[in-house]
Amino acid sequence: MKHIRSLQTRNLKKSLKKGGCGECQTSCQSACKTSCTVGNQSCEKAR
Amino acid sequence: MIHQFKNNGYNIVMDVESGSVHVVDPIAYDMISVLDEISGSIPLSSVDGDEIKAVPYEKVRDIFAKKLPSYNEDDISETYEEIVWLIENDSLFSDDIDSDIIKAHQEGEDIVKALCLHVAHDCNLACTYCFAGKGEYHGNRELMSFETGKRALDFLVESSGARRNLEVDFFGGEPLMNFDVVRQLTEYGRSIEAEKNKKFRFTLTTNGILLDDEILDFVNKEMGNLVLSIDGRREVNDRMRPRLGGQGSYDVILPKFMKAAKSRGQMNYYVRGTYTHYNLDFSEDVKHLAELGFEQISVEPVVAPPDEPYAITKEDVPKLLEQYDILAKYVLDRKREGRGFNFFHFMIDLSGGPCAYKRLSGCGSGTEYLAVAPNGDLYPCHQFVGMDDFLMGNVATGITARELRDKFRSCSVLSRPECGSCFAKYQCSGGCAANAYNFTHDINGVYDIGCTLQKKRIECAVMIKAATAGL
Repeated sequence: MKHIRSLQTRNLKKSLKKGGCGECQTSCQSACKTSCTVGNQSCEKAR
Repeated sequence: MIHQFKNNGYNIVMDVESGSVHVVDPIAYDMISVLDEISGSIPLSSVDGDEIKAVPYEKVRDIFAKKLPSYNEDDISETYEEIVWLIENDSLFSDDIDSDIIKAHQEGEDIVKALCLHVAHDCNLACTYCFAGKGEYHGNRELMSFETGKRALDFLVESSGARRNLEVDFFGGEPLMNFDVVRQLTEYGRSIEAEKNKKFRFTLTTNGILLDDEILDFVNKEMGNLVLSIDGRREVNDRMRPRLGGQGSYDVILPKFMKAAKSRGQMNYYVRGTYTHYNLDFSEDVKHLAELGFEQISVEPVVAPPDEPYAITKEDVPKLLEQYDILAKYVLDRKREGRGFNFFHFMIDLSGGPCAYKRLSGCGSGTEYLAVAPNGDLYPCHQFVGMDDFLMGNVATGITARELRDKFRSCSVLSRPECGSCFAKYQCSGGCAANAYNFTHDINGVYDIGCTLQKKRIECAVMIKAATAGL
């Protein structure tokens, strides 16, 4: 497309169908300890 | 819902519900803005079976002509075709995710899969901003016994259902003040993994004072993640992180941290700092750590009562937002020079990130994630340890405060009205319950300053993705 370019993203709605396994990391165990961020984490199934 | 912003020369449109991100030219940016403005009065799409149909151009042509007179109609018409493609492929103005599915999922089985083990309520630093009150957490100095820690790991295994991956963070105070127990618990965990069909992922968070070669060897063998506390420049670090005698800690810890980072191949660790009202130019601290060669860096705002002199104030926010912009450009420059590093809060996984369930259920504090005090008492997370109102049980008896657990279980993006219309809701998952409690006395409250900073970090992170994708 000429006016719009899209980044490769995971479709969140589709993730409802196969998601929810709960094997992913707990966010506070990574580095933050004072703030909650999940968008930077990886899906365990996508590894 | 969409979110539009401009950063570092990029015009970015986030389609919040689908997770799509578009980099657009000025005419597309302005046209999408007009469509967003009229979406309350004119439906932008209709559904025909499985197909989404965008509103025909004829129905919006005159609106564009009136609101965007500086663009000619041929360009508007051409751009609209591209917008239609996005709408009809469910990646622009996408409908809301069905929250009932998420709520039903959140009401599922009771699982605990992560523990923060407070192996030492004691510390060999006297950090000014410590939420643990210099390691004591509103109580006495105390070390966790091996027996209590062992019971905690057993409790975790017993409470984890079918989850295979279990996380244990050795925390404090300063956990290396009780390193023998850390070692014993790690060995115990490993000894039961096969029999229980579990995999422990251990993390150690340390101030580095007691870190030596023997401990580092052990940590590198057993700890999947290592968090090294340092605030940045010497004067910044030493002001807030003095030793018990008042002298600075920087010169003692820095060589150890550099050695630790190198010995781990510059992976699976973070140097982790806190910025305060005293160093509102915190991008300089991140740069300092990057220039020292650290490649995994996290520097975060202090969490403090508003009356503390080092607390972040509302007046500080504009300067802090500017700092994140400066930092984002620095991260990009370093990457282009082949000297890239990760800044934790600019890391965002757009293509392989968590599913919607995870994004809407928060950090799991009080439900799948608990903190364990040295005597085995259970709390929703490390920030609540020692607060009587948040005592949830003990590793010997399990969770007894079921109402409290249910309250935390329902605490998420979906429980906060403010989050419903926020573009960042799938990235921050509703923020930190402890932060909310500190500032509003309600775990379902909203910490405004934290939200503002979080949103800025996400915008910077997305801009970096756009820039590094060559768009």
